[in-house]
Amino acid sequence: MFKTHLLIAWRNLRKKRVFALINILGLALGFACGILIFLFVNHHLQFDNFHNNEDRIYRVVTEERRDDVEYESAVPPGFAKAFQSDYDFAEEVASYYYREDWQIDGADEKNSKRFREDIAFSESSFFRIFDFPLVDQLSGRTLEEPNTAYITQSFATKMFGEQNPLGQNFILENQETIEVIGILKDLPANSMISTPIFISYPSIKAYDDFIYSGSWGGINGSLRCFTLLHPNQDIAHIEQTLIELVNKHRPRSKNVHRYKLQALSDIHFDNRYDGINVSLLWIFGLVGIFLIGVACINFINISTAQAFTRSKEIGIKKVLGSNKKHLFWQFISETFIISLFGMLVGLFITLLVLPSFNSLFELDLSLQSLLDIKVAGLVLTLLTFVSLFAGSYPGILLARILPTLALKGKLTQRDAGGQFTRKILVTAQFVISILLIVGTVVIGKQINYAVNADLGFDKDAIVMLSVPEDIEHIKLEGLKERIFQLPGVENVTACLASPGAGYNNWGTSLRYNNRPEYEEFSISAKMADDDYISTFDLQLVAGRNFRMSDSITEVVVNEKLAQKLGLGSPEELIGKQLELNGGFIKATVSGVIANFHDQNFHLDISPVFIAPQTNAFHEIAVKINDQNVKSTLNEIEQKWRQVFPKFIYEFSFLDERVQDQYEEEQRLLSLSKLFSGLAIFISCLGLYGLISFFVAQRTKEVGIRKVLGSGVSGILILFAKDFCKLILIAGAIATPIAWFFMKRWLENYTYHTEISWWVFVMSISGLLLITLITISYQTIKAATANPTKSLRSE
Amino acid sequence: MIQIKNLKKSFRTEEVETLALNNVNLTVEEGEFVAIMGPSGCGKSTLLNILGMLDNPTEGSYHFGGEEVGKLRENQRTRIRKGNLGFVFQSFNLIDELTVFENVELPLIYLNMKKSEREQKVNAVLERMKIAHREKHFPQQLSGGQQQRVAIARAVVTNAKLILADEPTGNLDSKNGIEVMNLLTELNQEGTTIIMVTHSDRDSHYAHRIINLFDGQIVTESQNKPFEVNA
Repeated sequence: MFKTHLLIAWRNLRKKRVFALINILGLALGFACGILIFLFVNHHLQFDNFHNNEDRIYRVVTEERRDDVEYESAVPPGFAKAFQSDYDFAEEVASYYYREDWQIDGADEKNSKRFREDIAFSESSFFRIFDFPLVDQLSGRTLEEPNTAYITQSFATKMFGEQNPLGQNFILENQETIEVIGILKDLPANSMISTPIFISYPSIKAYDDFIYSGSWGGINGSLRCFTLLHPNQDIAHIEQTLIELVNKHRPRSKNVHRYKLQALSDIHFDNRYDGINVSLLWIFGLVGIFLIGVACINFINISTAQAFTRSKEIGIKKVLGSNKKHLFWQFISETFIISLFGMLVGLFITLLVLPSFNSLFELDLSLQSLLDIKVAGLVLTLLTFVSLFAGSYPGILLARILPTLALKGKLTQRDAGGQFTRKILVTAQFVISILLIVGTVVIGKQINYAVNADLGFDKDAIVMLSVPEDIEHIKLEGLKERIFQLPGVENVTACLASPGAGYNNWGTSLRYNNRPEYEEFSISAKMADDDYISTFDLQLVAGRNFRMSDSITEVVVNEKLAQKLGLGSPEELIGKQLELNGGFIKATVSGVIANFHDQNFHLDISPVFIAPQTNAFHEIAVKINDQNVKSTLNEIEQKWRQVFPKFIYEFSFLDERVQDQYEEEQRLLSLSKLFSGLAIFISCLGLYGLISFFVAQRTKEVGIRKVLGSGVSGILILFAKDFCKLILIAGAIATPIAWFFMKRWLENYTYHTEISWWVFVMSISGLLLITLITISYQTIKAATANPTKSLRSE
Repeated sequence: MIQIKNLKKSFRTEEVETLALNNVNLTVEEGEFVAIMGPSGCGKSTLLNILGMLDNPTEGSYHFGGEEVGKLRENQRTRIRKGNLGFVFQSFNLIDELTVFENVELPLIYLNMKKSEREQKVNAVLERMKIAHREKHFPQQLSGGQQQRVAIARAVVTNAKLILADEPTGNLDSKNGIEVMNLLTELNQEGTTIIMVTHSDRDSHYAHRIINLFDGQIVTESQNKPFEVNA
């Protein structure tokens, strides 16, 4: 019997090719999205799940409690040693200090390779905590020795080609020569640790005194502390005990630390500490279900609309002994066949778009990922679910058809039923489309607002050049001078970081005007020379710029500091003494600048001071004019290379850097565009199917109306008015839902755009227009046909 | 074989109730060939649908083979119908998506018959109906007469005791009509009971008994000397 079901299904598909194509294409797109979203979600759910001692591995993080709580994924440099030596909670403790884009050079004449790579300084215990297996190593050598490293297989090939990498050397940041003593298997893609080079921790001495010294004075955001606890530890007890360390090492600090143990399985999903926002995964999952749902709705609508054209077949089968159960399962079989085709096409589409998907989400999914048992499970689940979900309602309707009416050809749409359900389903499709369109428009609007808002500083035509760390100030001054001489350059400044950089944020404590206590809030340090204010066009509102000197005697602060200190006006700050950075800086306020957005719009403007700490300058900012930009950039590069011939030259534009702060939002926008586009496209496929069918059904009516004097517009209105009504109903349903969710999303931003009324009007009108275009082809075709023909054909 | 008493059938729409059959009493013995005649809308097809257990009467009783079937649920009616009853329609009602062979095979599938047995029976009946050479064709590729022969093949392939024919020659030319009537007569002579609704006086003369319906009631009932086969 099943064979007969399949046979009829297959022949029906061939006979009604257009409808089959609409169903298959819609389902294929839905399935492709579903599979891609599954791969994405699965990738994230699998993070760091391959370590043997997974359940005992923790990262120690810090809650910084001032007037509010800030969350740091790092601990003070002295923490790891104290946690290991003062307590017996841990089997292993390891510090891991990572740096991005450090320069690597070949160490001999035969190897002149030079590139940037992410590196980490890690203690040898790191490899006893995590399972990153060594494939080869020099015997008797360990990462305890300074200037040694483990590197991954891929990096070994990149750096040393076919040569045996063991015992080979490379130069790190033009300073130390590092010897390769171990080769690691490439790290899995689902690992939070992704650095290909692990340099022995003692090597840090040459690069970072603060970290090497084991200080408790502050936190460097790049320093991680991982631990493998003894079995059956009470985490709450450990965290409570660690308060002792704060009392011992930071007794008077207003930045009260609370050290917390974060389970390995939580690290990837805790967005307080650089993890991803887990709700995003659920939203993606929901969107995937929505898209498959939209495709299923097409199937249900077209099937139920066609139900009465199949009434003869159903009637005959009933007469010949088929019961409702047989007919129901026949329809489920048909749905299964269409779903199967949809799935095959969907898998093909998935393969086609996988490279773009990988690049959008920085993933490494391959054909292999699709051959996973879980994907096979998903495919089967989707096929079963869609066959049952999309097939059961039409199946029930068809099985209910009365054979006596069906065989006489007297069955009407009304008898076949499902009209009301069809309206509900089409409305549901419209609701989903409007929700996605509104979401897309609001995300785009927020990005546009953030990128084009007045940030309080000049970000246009400013070129940011990185400079090697620990470079003599005199050399930097020389370079600045040479660049400033160039005709296309308007201004130059050396600094730790530009305004709005989104990184190199250095928060520190503050004591104001010899008050007995440090303030409860932190202040951001923007180390820079005295050209910073003019180069970035920051606005002085009181006093003057600071004067450069060998030691820091003057600083400029922003208005926010005055507000935080509860002062009546910025002028009150002028001449006041600030003690900063744990007392390392004692300086007078020489000037106050207007507030500017130093961080992205998620965060409030914080108090800032600008001080000339020359050994902290990592960048040069060059304000250029808009004439001969290309040659100016070339000339800047030449000047830079003359001063730093051994270093890699890199530059970026500040406006692009500001935009990069919204990378996640840009990604979300791309996805929203894709998903809403797909939802609309799949819905339109369904609408096209429905309208084709309705037009065919009402050919005679169209003919009669034309004979009686109706024009094309009258016919168009005849078919369009029902859909327009449904869109308006959908708009009324979707508007409050979209408003609620997008308002909540915007609340993540301290500075955000508003959801204007036109967002909804535009989204609903847009959908209305697309719908009219979709149905117009078939409708106009019917309206312009010769009525005598249609009347004769009836 | 069939005994109906005081049978009524009414159809109710939102505003109007129409009485399609009113106090119909009818007995059909096994092996009979009965023709039901009457003007359009007199209730012929309604009666045939009830006799064929496609529909239930509103009132009255219907005994089939001694069993009351007038108040059965659809599933129960389907169970009795399977294998016992065959249908032949004016518009043939073959499934367009199935070949001749597959159309004839369908009732046997619903009887859960084994494949080999089904093939044997279908081949035999197609041979008998002289349509075996067309077994792989689809209904649209056949003439009206051929389609009706396939429909008769489908009706008899289960060895049905009763064939209900609803204007079986209505869509055929006279030559094909005669052929179909000859086939039905042959089947009747072999013991199959046949009840046929028809407008055609000529076709009615193949029957043993002619029943005339008017406004949902049997108005006359007459015995008939049937035509001979090949007449």
